Amino acid sequence: MSKPILVVGAGPAGLAASHALAAVGQPVVLVEKERTLGGAPILSGYAKLVPSGEWAKDAIGAMVQRVEASERIDVRRATRITAFDGSPGAFSASLSDGSQVEVGAAILATGFTHFDSINKPEWGFGLFPDVVTTTQIEQMISSGKGVRCPSDGRKPKRVAVLLCVGSRDRQIGREWCSKICCTVSANIAMEIREELPDCHVYIYYMDIRTFGLYEDRFYWRSQEEFKVKYVKARIAEVTSDGERLVLKGEDTLVKRPITIPFDLVVHAIGMDPSTENPGIAEVFGVALEEHGHIARASTYRDMSATSRPGVLVAGAATGPETIDDSIAQGQAAAMAALSAAGIALRAAG
Amino acid sequence: MPIHEKSLIRPENLTTHDKLEIDGVDVSGHWSTFIESRVLTDYNEALQDEVQALPGGEAVHRCWQCGSCTNACTVNAINPDFNPRYWIYLIRLGMEQELLRDKDIVWQCVSCNKCTHVCPRDVNPEGVMKALAHWLELKGHTARSPSTEFDEEFASQVFETGKIEESRVIRGFFRRTGQPLMQDWLIAMTRRMLRHVPVKLLLAMGLQGLLRPSTRSWGAARGAIRDYVARRERENRRALGLDAAAHQGD
Ligand SMILES: Cc1cc2nc3c(=O)[nH]c(=O)nc-3n(C[C@H](O)[C@H](O)[C@H](O)COP(=O)(O)OP(=O)(O)OC[C@H]3O[C@@H](n4cnc5c(N)ncnc54)[C@H](O)[C@@H]3O)c2cc1C
Ligand code: SF4
Ligand code: SF4
Ligand code: SF4
Repeated sequence: MSKPILVVGAGPAGLAASHALAAVGQPVVLVEKERTLGGAPILSGYAKLVPSGEWAKDAIGAMVQRVEASERIDVRRATRITAFDGSPGAFSASLSDGSQVEVGAAILATGFTHFDSINKPEWGFGLFPDVVTTTQIEQMISSGKGVRCPSDGRKPKRVAVLLCVGSRDRQIGREWCSKICCTVSANIAMEIREELPDCHVYIYYMDIRTFGLYEDRFYWRSQEEFKVKYVKARIAEVTSDGERLVLKGEDTLVKRPITIPFDLVVHAIGMDPSTENPGIAEVFGVALEEHGHIARASTYRDMSATSRPGVLVAGAATGPETIDDSIAQGQAAAMAALSAAGIALRAAG
Repeated sequence: MPIHEKSLIRPENLTTHDKLEIDGVDVSGHWSTFIESRVLTDYNEALQDEVQALPGGEAVHRCWQCGSCTNACTVNAINPDFNPRYWIYLIRLGMEQELLRDKDIVWQCVSCNKCTHVCPRDVNPEGVMKALAHWLELKGHTARSPSTEFDEEFASQVFETGKIEESRVIRGFFRRTGQPLMQDWLIAMTRRMLRHVPVKLLLAMGLQGLLRPSTRSWGAARGAIRDYVARRERENRRALGLDAAAHQGD
């Protein structure tokens, strides 16, 4: 029997890679640092996903169950890799539980870290309880409690969503676009309007990047069916008048300063490179790209390759990614891992 | 002035005092110039709902501010202050005061619908211009002018008889505006007509003036139009939160 493939990280990308390998009869060792499998959508309690509208706990939950049920996948929870040596077809990995596994190849599906809004103090997070992040709103919705102001539990009458929090900002060394937050924000805005029809939702943007088919299904729909309002302004400051939050900025379309009262302010937080990446780079001997994500060696010919032969990468570990693209990359990495490990598939029948 | 060339300092926001002393320092004249803040401090969320309740304004919330309408606009080419894109934004965000600054040019729309044909989001800007003009009128922001009197006289004749008779419109208009019938230009025009227009036609015109002809079996149509106009008026006023009964007598 061939050596197993090591998959690190059990988010959408790692779950997809593990399942794809198991489906062709390949044993897998899946190592996840948390107790729970499922990655960001499960660990952070996302609500309805973009673009399917399925609840994260159902959609990603089903991927978790499939992996847990597979006898070819050896799941190691609350575990990390402490050392990784060898060459393609003959790697040896040491695990934090003290065990050692011999593997043919490894797939890094270690994902991203949510931007911590504390790093943008001018936008009031941590200072005012009614300044929250998109992850918190997802949790309010997925828990069934609904969107409320944390300060006193009241239903907000006016909500502001600030886009690009922790993205596209040289001041804090984050020069990338996090890709999914425009669409996620449009989705959240619609969910708020659905739950609280009397609540007005404003989205403050620099650009709207609801790419591909998300344009009409999210951006247009949020405007046309849900009357979400979009204001082209990057907010300068979030303060409080003692009762409500006050947004200060410039409405660039009317060229006028604004100081507008709000009940709830939502930060559309971006996707940072995983805080694990420096450690991963050291243990696995892979290069990071300029922003701190795991670098891809090739865009086309060997899509999943890292700088180290036999070590592959998939999903948000490479940069901001959507769930469906992370899954596709997980499957692509599974294929690449088989060939890197030199495992020839016997022709069926 | 095209909008991108507009000065951020508006003359009405400048204040100076001819004689002013502050803490013993003479700051008379331009030394005491203050520029009032242009800060927007709130959105009026009712404005969009109100304009949407008026015929033509239904899709205003779809606009994403691309400016195609303004670029295509017939009137904007002549009057750069006529900017449908901008007004649509003000409606959407409820910037009522800003909107009222342009209340005297909104009606200039010639309903050519060039904007409607270029709009990528099916906003129907021409309809919005109509709804907006209507909103301004219903809210009492547009003063009655001689042309309002003319329009009403004209419309009332059409509703009454199904057609118009020019000399009657003119007489009615003069009566409403308190003008004398004998006006120099009218006398001169009538004289010239008597000289140049064929006698047969003159006779026909005179007869029409006396007989007040109306479209055959107009009665039913008149009733239906009256009902419709009254109902529409009631609905519009209700949508704007105005007292529906108060306007009936107008
Ligand atoms: C607020 C918000 C909402 C979003 N909503 C959507 C949406 O609706 N639709 C959509 O398509 N995308 C959405 N996304 C993006 C989505 O979260 C990512 O596309 C997806 O999570 C990426 O999957 P992944 O498996 O690559 O990484 P992750 O989900 O981050 O999973 C990585 C896993 O690896 C584990 N791990 C990390 N380091 C190690 C290590 N050293 N050892 C062992 N295990 C490790 C982590 O614990 C985690 O379980 C959203 C993002 C945000 C921020
Ligand atoms: S997806 Fe939108 S909100 Fe997110 S970083 Fe890009 S532009 Fe900003
Ligand atoms: S219909 Fe009115 S707003 Fe539209 S292009 Fe013609 S003049 Fe301009
Ligand atoms: S063309 Fe349509 S979408 Fe574009 S600014 Fe005008 S009304 Fe808005």
